[in-house]
Amino acid sequence: MWWYVGKRLLQAIPVILGATLLIYAMVFLRPGDPIVALFGDKPVPEGTYQALREQYNFDKPFLVQWLLFLKGAVTLDFGTAFSGQPVIDLVQRAFPVTIKLAFMALVIEAVLGVAAGFYAGMRRGKLFDSTMLVVSLLVIAVPIFVFGFVLQLLVGIKLGALPALVSSQATFRELLLPAIVLGLVSFAYVLRLTRTSVIENLTADHVRTARAKGLPDGQVNRRHVLRNSLIPVVTFLGADLGGLMAGAVVTEGIFNVPGVGNLAFQAVRRGETPTIVSVVTIMVLVYVLTSLVVDLLYAWLDPRIRYA
Amino acid sequence: MPDGRPSKIRPGQERYVARLEDTPLHDVGALDTTAPPESQWKEAWKQLRKNPLFWVSAVLLVFLAVVIAVPGLFTSNDPSFCQPGKSLAVSSPGHPLGFDRQGCDVYSRVIYGARASVAVGVFTTLIVALLGLVTGAVAGFYGGFLDALISRIGDIFYAIPLLLAAIVLLSALNNVWPNRGFWGSVLAIVLALGLFGWPQVTRIARGAVIETKQQEFVDAARALGATPRRNLLRHVVPNSLAPVIVTATVSLGVFIVAEATLSFLGLGLPTSIVSWGNDIAASQNQVRAGQRLGTMFWPAGALALTVFSFILLGDAVRDALDPKAKKR
Repeated sequence: MWWYVGKRLLQAIPVILGATLLIYAMVFLRPGDPIVALFGDKPVPEGTYQALREQYNFDKPFLVQWLLFLKGAVTLDFGTAFSGQPVIDLVQRAFPVTIKLAFMALVIEAVLGVAAGFYAGMRRGKLFDSTMLVVSLLVIAVPIFVFGFVLQLLVGIKLGALPALVSSQATFRELLLPAIVLGLVSFAYVLRLTRTSVIENLTADHVRTARAKGLPDGQVNRRHVLRNSLIPVVTFLGADLGGLMAGAVVTEGIFNVPGVGNLAFQAVRRGETPTIVSVVTIMVLVYVLTSLVVDLLYAWLDPRIRYA
Repeated sequence: MPDGRPSKIRPGQERYVARLEDTPLHDVGALDTTAPPESQWKEAWKQLRKNPLFWVSAVLLVFLAVVIAVPGLFTSNDPSFCQPGKSLAVSSPGHPLGFDRQGCDVYSRVIYGARASVAVGVFTTLIVALLGLVTGAVAGFYGGFLDALISRIGDIFYAIPLLLAAIVLLSALNNVWPNRGFWGSVLAIVLALGLFGWPQVTRIARGAVIETKQQEFVDAARALGATPRRNLLRHVVPNSLAPVIVTATVSLGVFIVAEATLSFLGLGLPTSIVSWGNDIAASQNQVRAGQRLGTMFWPAGALALTVFSFILLGDAVRDALDPKAKKR
């Protein structure tokens, strides 16, 4: 298995290099001079201008800028933001908040999605199943920020049940509402996946065998139906962690969460290359690592799978 | 040997030849060979016709197509004619849904907004499906180095979250190419979403092609002398289309939602273009203040109904194309 892990990590290197290069190229497309933009209407002193250009490597060719970023990134030096703070400090402050938010969303969507999907699949065609199908389609069809605003207004402001905005502390209670909003779409996907998978497994040979040998229904459903139905769900959840961090751009904006989504969005607006590339690099790393963990989880869920 | 492969019978080994009655060949005589062959698509259409959900989504989508083609049929108001004096006014004769903050007629904006939103969805899906199908088919069919190359390049685009990538690319495009008009703006979003959306279809197409190329009829075609290219285009690709079509239909809805999200972030269509995404984004202040929720409800509802129809259609098509799922 370690051989497999090593191989996968080696395969990840070109992906990370390519992804950072791609983002660098896209940010480089902007013809506007971010340093001039930084000074707004004020004239930029020539000496300062040159110094800043050198500091941010804007005077060097595109590929050299990218290589310099990589060189720094290896030693965890991601450059400095326009505010003068090292990017690593900004990321270090924002990242835990987003991780907390994303994990809360992941737990919410996984628990509710699997439970509702399992129940719906076991009672296919009944009222609960039909209701859940309509609910899941609605959740997918309505843009997430609409839910964000509506829930913020209803739960946060009208009812006052949960905080409508998040402070710089980003406590568990404050993050609950944004996490629900963030996990909502994936909840619908998890529900649909689990339901389909449960229906498929209910008629599978191994479930029939388990029933035939006299295993109680509860055990058959838990050990044979549910466990085997989880394989596609786990794949989805693993791939979704990266998606949740990107979705955080919207959710964090609505609820004013001080996370990486907000950080990235502000950086894009300012054309702050080091911050954008750092955040994207981290998200790509998260994606690569979670997909590796997912593949390893397979073996636990389905012992037939072996790694070479 | 009928399949053209050299036989490998070891000395002393006897071959058992079954009687015709014991083999599946026996049933061949029972088949009505004069009947015209039923293609997978004809069979699927038969199934589709029986599905009420297909008809629900089909009626909704045909209605949507009419709205896009001739919006003047549904409203005589100009969506860009706004009277600041009527800001947030409630409904009045000729203006059934009232007015938004700018004093524009909400109903006519919902009608005219369909065009931009659906255009983004349709064209992004076309690009993603085409690019995904070509790369996936080549990777799956030829394997080896081409497969590794396409898969790794796909990984790079897939590893960057779609929304974030689109934000970065669009913010760059807005600077390089400002004031790009209706189709230019649509194209920019299509490019941003398409450039990072194709690897998902590639993966699905690749999987389907690998599965199809192992089937007997592909071997048969090869044995009859079909070149790999002909085999790929005439036999493998047509038989791998089903999952790609299903994914494309569902993702059409997802791309429409993505356009709305980008517009909400201020990076989608310029505000001068009437689109559902822009109207939902513009209404956020009213919703925050808790007044005139209709300004968000109607464009969001129209968008949701459209996406809903496409997902339903995708589900119905999947059930029709996957004979295994039907029985369940």
